[in-house]
Amino acid sequence: MKKKVGIYICQCGPNIADNVDIDKIIESVSAFNDADDLEIVAKPYGLLCSGEGKDYLKQEIEENGLTHLVIGACSPRDHNNTFIGVCKETSLNPYLYKLINIREHCAWIIHDKDKATEKAIQYIRGGLRRVLYQSELFENKLDTNPDVLVIGGGIAGIEAALSLADADRQVFLIEKTDRLGGKAATFKTVLPKQQDAVEAIQLKIQTVQDHPHIQVMLNTRLDRIIGFLGNFEAEVRSIDDAEKMTELKIGAMVVASGFSLYDASTHPDFIFSGDDEVYTALQIEQMIAEKNQVTTRSGKAPKSVAMIHCVGREEVGYCSQICCNAMIKLAARFKTQSPDTTVKVFFRDLCLPHQDDQAFYNEIKAQGVEFVRVNRIATEGSQIKFTTMDENEGSELFDMVVLAPAMIPADGTPDLATKLGISLHETGFFQEAHQAINPVATATDGIFIVGTAHGPRGIQATLLQAQAAASKIRVQLIPGEQIVPEVRVSETLEAFCMGCKTCLEVCHYGAIVFDEDKGISVVKEAVCRGCGNCVGSCPSGAIQLKHFTNPQLYQEMIEAVQ
Amino acid sequence: MGKTFNPKITAFLCKWCSYTGADLAGTSRLQYPTAIIPIKVMCSSRVDPVFLIRAFLKGADGVLIGGCHPGDCHYESGNYHTRRRFAILQSIFDSLNLEKDRLRLSWISASEGPKFARVCNEFTDKIQKMGPNPTRKNMFI
Repeated sequence: MKKKVGIYICQCGPNIADNVDIDKIIESVSAFNDADDLEIVAKPYGLLCSGEGKDYLKQEIEENGLTHLVIGACSPRDHNNTFIGVCKETSLNPYLYKLINIREHCAWIIHDKDKATEKAIQYIRGGLRRVLYQSELFENKLDTNPDVLVIGGGIAGIEAALSLADADRQVFLIEKTDRLGGKAATFKTVLPKQQDAVEAIQLKIQTVQDHPHIQVMLNTRLDRIIGFLGNFEAEVRSIDDAEKMTELKIGAMVVASGFSLYDASTHPDFIFSGDDEVYTALQIEQMIAEKNQVTTRSGKAPKSVAMIHCVGREEVGYCSQICCNAMIKLAARFKTQSPDTTVKVFFRDLCLPHQDDQAFYNEIKAQGVEFVRVNRIATEGSQIKFTTMDENEGSELFDMVVLAPAMIPADGTPDLATKLGISLHETGFFQEAHQAINPVATATDGIFIVGTAHGPRGIQATLLQAQAAASKIRVQLIPGEQIVPEVRVSETLEAFCMGCKTCLEVCHYGAIVFDEDKGISVVKEAVCRGCGNCVGSCPSGAIQLKHFTNPQLYQEMIEAVQ
Repeated sequence: MGKTFNPKITAFLCKWCSYTGADLAGTSRLQYPTAIIPIKVMCSSRVDPVFLIRAFLKGADGVLIGGCHPGDCHYESGNYHTRRRFAILQSIFDSLNLEKDRLRLSWISASEGPKFARVCNEFTDKIQKMGPNPTRKNMFI
């Protein structure tokens, strides 16, 4: 079939025109005769991105019956979408067009006009060669489901569910225990300082339970998930009754599975049993919530309390961020309960990140809570032995010992990660898509992580994440709107694939699955992000990335090296 | 080798970091030689080693690969794969007696226009000194 390629060079005002010889480019590319059945239309134009310029291009495409289009102009970051838009309004498939950036890469990098022109010619000829090898691609629109599955009924899951349901999204909230609220609902006061949040948290729980758009499923866990953003299918199962399985169709998921605590009894320096007066900070919180006072196992108020920070920090290898404040809050609570209680806080480092924390710490210190910086500390029951930073050794017996164990991933986190097909950080918490710039998304589109499932943090940061994830979902999945998945994705060439599974290993998104029957790798197009890493890894050349195929890049390359 | 040797260098630049860095070099009007022709790829990991060898066999005097800095890959781990493949390719160059200095891998972020220009200047200069790629003449495949 005869090919008719239109090549249009934009003057970009003086930006390109002053620094490259456009006439010379037109003359040179018009003479290109390195392909059969090829006709070239090459013309200069003032400003192709202007309204007139776009109309001109449309007219040229239609009147000349162009089969391919090459534009020599600015960076694709400026106007690639402009020209794709132009193509879409014509009969020309936008994937048969190529923009060559002769402004940033030729006109602006050298004062020598001849050299700039020479490079521009070579660069455009590469684009011309490439475009002849490009294929039409068709964007497929997919219906989406705006409903959301929230995994975990703690404060993170509750907040995400409310933020979505208030925007009229149907939310399925599954919780593995028999109640909502998680650990936060057992706190009498919350950080920063000692704000009373019981009512606020209870109100949120009640709102979730009564919400017309939220279906709460207690004693329920996730069994299986398949699909992709906008079209997931989940199977959830009752923990009490294994026969009871529910199928849910959703568009996105929020993982809010929370945290567990490091088991201090496994640490060689902390020797205690269930009979000893040794408690975790969380147990004290729960005691306060239940009976509004702290007592020893014999029912007496403790006269002396040791509070030990950073239990297991060395072992897990990170700071849990909120325990220092939680412990200071409890120290204050002991002083409120009985001002003459001796409260000694044994710490190694203090982490006081919130702007109110320092003042609160100063206040508690002024109330007589003693802070002892220790290098090493060990307990045997409620007998404490320690070495201070200046190497003084001490040994004291207390009525009660409160430990702040490190926060660790919730039980079942690895299993959940496998079911969801998302990665874990080296600490065992769920891994975000990008630590700095995409902190609530995961590598899988449509799956978000919030709260302590993502790592240690307090309630405030947890709620911020839950709200962020909810708004991301609200933007990505708009009821009634279709999504256009990336079409420049990888595909396997069945005849060449030898089934080595290398591509499955390198794909960060789990977009490649293995077809056991055929013994070949198959790309899940809706999941593929189109990076082409699998192409680079394939030893038999059996994968190609659409729009970045080897023949296409070869044509560009061959021109560059001639 | 003629008096005026104009090296031919192909640069595979990832769309997100290095290509954008190259754009910035242009918008900042930084000057660098025209020997380098860029080829945009979505991720540096798309560039398979065999393709690079083909570039040399076809006459490239030098090949530059530009990717995001480690940890900054738009596709999370693509550049780590690039780095591994690059190390292996270099060792293959050694065993085939090819000049591995004609290959260069650089991490250039979207904000590193000056670095892109510097890398282009250095690399062109180096290839200029090395002279034309002898592979095209010597190898028959």
